[in-house]
Amino acid sequence: MQIYGVFVPEKERLLSYFSLFKQGKGGLIVYLSLIGLILGGTGFASIFILGHGHTINTSSLVPWGLQISTYVYFALVSGGCIFTNFIGNMFFHEKYKPLASRVIFMGLITAIAGFASLASELGHVERMYLFMVSPNPTSPMFWMSVWYTADISILLVEYVNIQRHVHSKAMLYASFIIPIITYCSLGSLFGAVGTMPYYYSSLLPIYFLFSGFLSGNALCAVIVALHSKTTGNMRLVKPFIRLQKIGLASVFVLTFCRIIIGLASNLSGYEVFRETFFQNVIFGIVCALIVPFTILMYRRTIGGLILSSLLVLFTQFMARLDLVVEGFRVPVFRAYDMPERISYFPSIFEMLVVLASVSLVALVYVVCEKTGLFEIAGKETH
Amino acid sequence: MSSNENKDILEIMQEDLLRALKKPRAERRWAMAIDLKKCIGCHACTTGCMSENITPPDIHYRPVKEEEIGTYPNTGMRFLPRPCMQCDSPSCTQVCPVTATYKRDDGLVVIDYEKCIGCRYCLVACPYGARSADVGRYYTGDFHSKTYEVENSGEYGKTSKRTSHWRSPIGNARKCHFCIHRVEKGELTRCTTTCLASATYFGDINDPQALITKVISKPNVIKYKEELGTKPMVYYIV
Repeated sequence: MQIYGVFVPEKERLLSYFSLFKQGKGGLIVYLSLIGLILGGTGFASIFILGHGHTINTSSLVPWGLQISTYVYFALVSGGCIFTNFIGNMFFHEKYKPLASRVIFMGLITAIAGFASLASELGHVERMYLFMVSPNPTSPMFWMSVWYTADISILLVEYVNIQRHVHSKAMLYASFIIPIITYCSLGSLFGAVGTMPYYYSSLLPIYFLFSGFLSGNALCAVIVALHSKTTGNMRLVKPFIRLQKIGLASVFVLTFCRIIIGLASNLSGYEVFRETFFQNVIFGIVCALIVPFTILMYRRTIGGLILSSLLVLFTQFMARLDLVVEGFRVPVFRAYDMPERISYFPSIFEMLVVLASVSLVALVYVVCEKTGLFEIAGKETH
Repeated sequence: MSSNENKDILEIMQEDLLRALKKPRAERRWAMAIDLKKCIGCHACTTGCMSENITPPDIHYRPVKEEEIGTYPNTGMRFLPRPCMQCDSPSCTQVCPVTATYKRDDGLVVIDYEKCIGCRYCLVACPYGARSADVGRYYTGDFHSKTYEVENSGEYGKTSKRTSHWRSPIGNARKCHFCIHRVEKGELTRCTTTCLASATYFGDINDPQALITKVISKPNVIKYKEELGTKPMVYYIV
């Protein structure tokens, strides 16, 4: 298996970039993300060295916090990249080709970044091998792990195919269908929990597919916009504006349905929808969906696409945090001095894990881009 | 029943327990009944449980919910002790990805501390909030290593010292297990023995002679959140 030029950049390009890096000409994003990775890595290591009790703010009342929501966010971004790759291949084949390896690579690296965040939340990550040794087929989490592994494997094969100029229709379809199952499994992991009305119930797998598409597509749109700016080739900007609008509209419909269902129900636990109504409307709908849509309506330029995409990436991250954490707002059993409503604010260590994950994605991608890893596939024809 | 007339209910339940232990494990079905009319909200069960299982801060296997009812001057207090319901159809065992939590052949829902990966999915899935995450906190802060807090609780009849965050049960899900380490030695659960008002009944409901079997065969017995289909094995006498 060829390593250089497929998984890592060509040796010469890498060495010449390294000498530029030492001279301080490596690019601002690389230096910033390296600092972020070092800081985040310190936080990440602290969690393992000091233990959860001293570092994270999750508890029995809020068992899942920022690290889980970061995992969900990156997993969905990864899924969105794959869906974008499929649409790109199907509908914009020639125009999209130079970007395929970049998009799939981003799908891979975000999946890995998400998993790193998840690992820091588990009480005993060293026992993950038990997923294979002692599996429980009734658990949505078990199935999520199965499909997540399949998803990353398919992505890896598809990426190698692109880098080696091999075009396989079967692999392209597999890389579309398996992520659908994977992210539906992730949705069912939350949605199957009947005691948490805020987790959308059976709507969640569908919601995850669309919001995953929206967030992953937004990340791809940033890549497209920057690539278009560098090459002067603007052919993909308009299609990506259209795709992002479709993503925003579909997430809007699902978010709206969910709020209406939540408000209409008077079952125990559903009061959380009434209590979070304004934050859901103002942040979840207006800031996260309507504002980016409006930007795309009135600024159909590279600048507009980058602005709306960055806004979508940030607001979708906040939406994942809101989804995971607000689910625990109303405790299922209250005793002693437990407050009526549970609040949670992440610790500095949890925030550093997010910084580490974001920096990892930015650093690896930008270094690979600068050293020409994706140029090989883009130049060739299938 | 006549021979039991002058006996304390603890003595009766003790005899029931010894009789149940003579049967093969698969033929037993442990259950608990709590008489809410008798419960005075003293929290002796909670503190007894805490000392028995050496539970860390914010982990209560058997909390007691207190509710003020009515309006002045017609007010009163209502108490609801909540152990693990040891459901017959538990949602926690279904979601555990590595079968670290499972139902034994005697119906008891247990956690294998050496298998639990600490994903906390069971905490999210339990509709009773009966599970807690041991994230490794201590009442005595950084001085914990010299205190009772690291000692072996003997839960599930195994050695589990809380000496480091790499060692179970730190990092695990934890919950009430009907003091199975005591029960299998012929002792009643700690909450049953510490209850000041003798409001807690424990025993094998597969034994028609057992006190608990008689107590739960009344029309004023309910199960908490029974409508969820979890088939809890804790009965409330109201």
